[in-house]
Amino acid sequence: MRSRTSGLGLLLISPAMLLLAIFFFTPALLTGVFSFTNMSSSTGISGGAYVVTPNLLKALSARGMQPATIEALEEASYSVDADGLAAARAADVDPAFLDEIEARYAGRAYATDSDFLAALKDLPSRPRRIRDLKLAMEPFTKSVLNVRFATEELARTAIAERVAGISDDEMATLLSESYTGWVWTTENFGKLFAGHETWRIIANTIFYVATTLTLFNVTLGLFLAVTTFYLPKKLGAIFTVIWLLPRITPVVLYAIMWKWFTWDDGFVAVLAGELGLPSFNYMKGSVTSAWTIVIMVNGFIGASFGMILFSGALRSIPIQQLWASEVDGATRWQQVRYIILPQLRWPILFVTSYQTLSLLTSYQEIWLTTNGGPGSTTTVWALESFRTALFNYSGSLQYGLGAAMALLLVAVGLMLSIIYLRLFRFGELVTQPKIEF
Amino acid sequence: MTRNFSIWPVVLILLLISAPIVIMYSYLALGTVTTTEPGDLLPSKLALDNWRFLFDTSTAAGNIWIATLNTFVFAASIMVIVLTVSATGGYAMSRLNLPFRRFVLSGIMVMHAFPSVTLIIGVFLVLQFTGLYDTMIGVILVKASLMLPFGIWIMKGFYDAVPWEIEMAGVQDGASRFTVWRRLILPQVRAGLVALGLFAFLDGWGEYVLPRILAPTNDFRVLSIVLELVGNPDRTNYDFDLFKTVGVFYTLPVLVIFVFFQHRLMDIFGGGTKG
Repeated sequence: MRSRTSGLGLLLISPAMLLLAIFFFTPALLTGVFSFTNMSSSTGISGGAYVVTPNLLKALSARGMQPATIEALEEASYSVDADGLAAARAADVDPAFLDEIEARYAGRAYATDSDFLAALKDLPSRPRRIRDLKLAMEPFTKSVLNVRFATEELARTAIAERVAGISDDEMATLLSESYTGWVWTTENFGKLFAGHETWRIIANTIFYVATTLTLFNVTLGLFLAVTTFYLPKKLGAIFTVIWLLPRITPVVLYAIMWKWFTWDDGFVAVLAGELGLPSFNYMKGSVTSAWTIVIMVNGFIGASFGMILFSGALRSIPIQQLWASEVDGATRWQQVRYIILPQLRWPILFVTSYQTLSLLTSYQEIWLTTNGGPGSTTTVWALESFRTALFNYSGSLQYGLGAAMALLLVAVGLMLSIIYLRLFRFGELVTQPKIEF
Repeated sequence: MTRNFSIWPVVLILLLISAPIVIMYSYLALGTVTTTEPGDLLPSKLALDNWRFLFDTSTAAGNIWIATLNTFVFAASIMVIVLTVSATGGYAMSRLNLPFRRFVLSGIMVMHAFPSVTLIIGVFLVLQFTGLYDTMIGVILVKASLMLPFGIWIMKGFYDAVPWEIEMAGVQDGASRFTVWRRLILPQVRAGLVALGLFAFLDGWGEYVLPRILAPTNDFRVLSIVLELVGNPDRTNYDFDLFKTVGVFYTLPVLVIFVFFQHRLMDIFGGGTKG
């Protein structure tokens, strides 16, 4: 029987759908779309203008643009109009002189420097010094250089006016090169695959995920769960709480505590100094120690995830099995090896897969501790993408390139989450509702 | 069970691997009431003046009470949004017939498993286009929305566990489905609402990256931003004891909530999305 759609259901679900559409679905889509642009903080986000700069002309000339075109673009001309007069007034040119210019030459245009200069020298109240005269000329300059044209049409007309008979090719090059806004491009992916840093960051990421996962999230999580299970209840609870602390502490406090723990006159360095061991900033001093700290910082949070899950699974093992094994004279190790571990197979698989995904995309802790250093030795993919697009000290943020990096993560994340859902048969949870009218 | 093993070696190993946490947190607590000379391991003298930031606004922490109020408003707004939207959405997903229900539900599950931090660049662009960039409303909406798949999923689980006879009885007596949900079902899932509300509040309370990146110059400063400022060694009036004290002040509410609601929270931490 097909039941009809519940109007109330649509009403109740709509706020959730709306928020998810705006802040989940659209960002995912935009990450995909803008990874094919060269959007950055210098191109701006909402589009740009057309500006021909002297530097651009130099570059174009080196690339073989006609010298005649370049010269025509570089050349300035002068015209006496309202704008120019207003600019001159603002620039403190002698008002009497300006009045004369307005009276005699209003509306005229001059193609070259010398023409305009000659015209001005005819005026009685002109400045005596030639330098002042040149300064007075400046506000009347008409040039395409360094002028922002809001639309392509405006830029096209202005360029065509200056360079009579410019070829279509050259016009197209000029327009595309002078555009300051973002444009569609596939260069981001090319850059990613060509850069030698890319492979190093990928290797870093794999090393980081694999090591943290095996050492802390799974092994230490298991160890904590099993030991607290066997310890007297109160003692076990103390260790459980200790290991939950990193998880519930706000991330800034947690990260800076690690910084204090490992920096020059922090605890580890001072202790090592007193014991006669090498004492330095362990977080940034050497690659090995930096990696150790990064893995520990994340692992200490991750271990509690495994601990909670494995503890729950442990308690659901029928206690009679353990009693029976003790009657047969099994040691604790044999109990763990032959009874507990086989029954924890699914939780272990779950923790492994779930935490792979979350480690793969975590960057907060690394960002706040080593920030990928020393050099870029502890930089992982998620951190690099975040820093490229949203946060670095130079301030030039490359949204497009960062989005391309994030897109790869989004793709991997999406693929893995779908695989996990299949793996753990979550399909059973989406069965039809029981009650429907 | 019999004690066919001695527990001391195990406790010793546990203590050894827990040492970094124990040391860091003990020093954190000690640092709030003592001062330690640089280069020394042990604190040298008692000093309660680390707490002066509570009433003295001239320290690096600024006016701590405004930041605390801001953080509270921030976390509470997130909690309210997550709770209302998840409570309604979860019910619709659990009990009501919707078009593409299976598809939507799988979508929500994928989003739940999906690491939302990778979306931050896309979120940044969305906020830029909608004009919500650098506003706290934007950050609150983003943070709450990113928690929604988790919240809807948890609430659906709680609704699924409510016996459908309760609902049936209500409908038989002539109540509308909305009244049944409001008067009969919601009280049944109170445990879920409390757990989810606490979780959302704590998550909002500790949030750092989103306000830092999506509202960098906003005057609405939350405690995590203040703490990061105080803990930055490049500052001229850098004071690490002050950092520790502000840090403890910041974490105390979390610890209190955690101590009182540990059992309710434990179930939900397993499904959390952190590290």
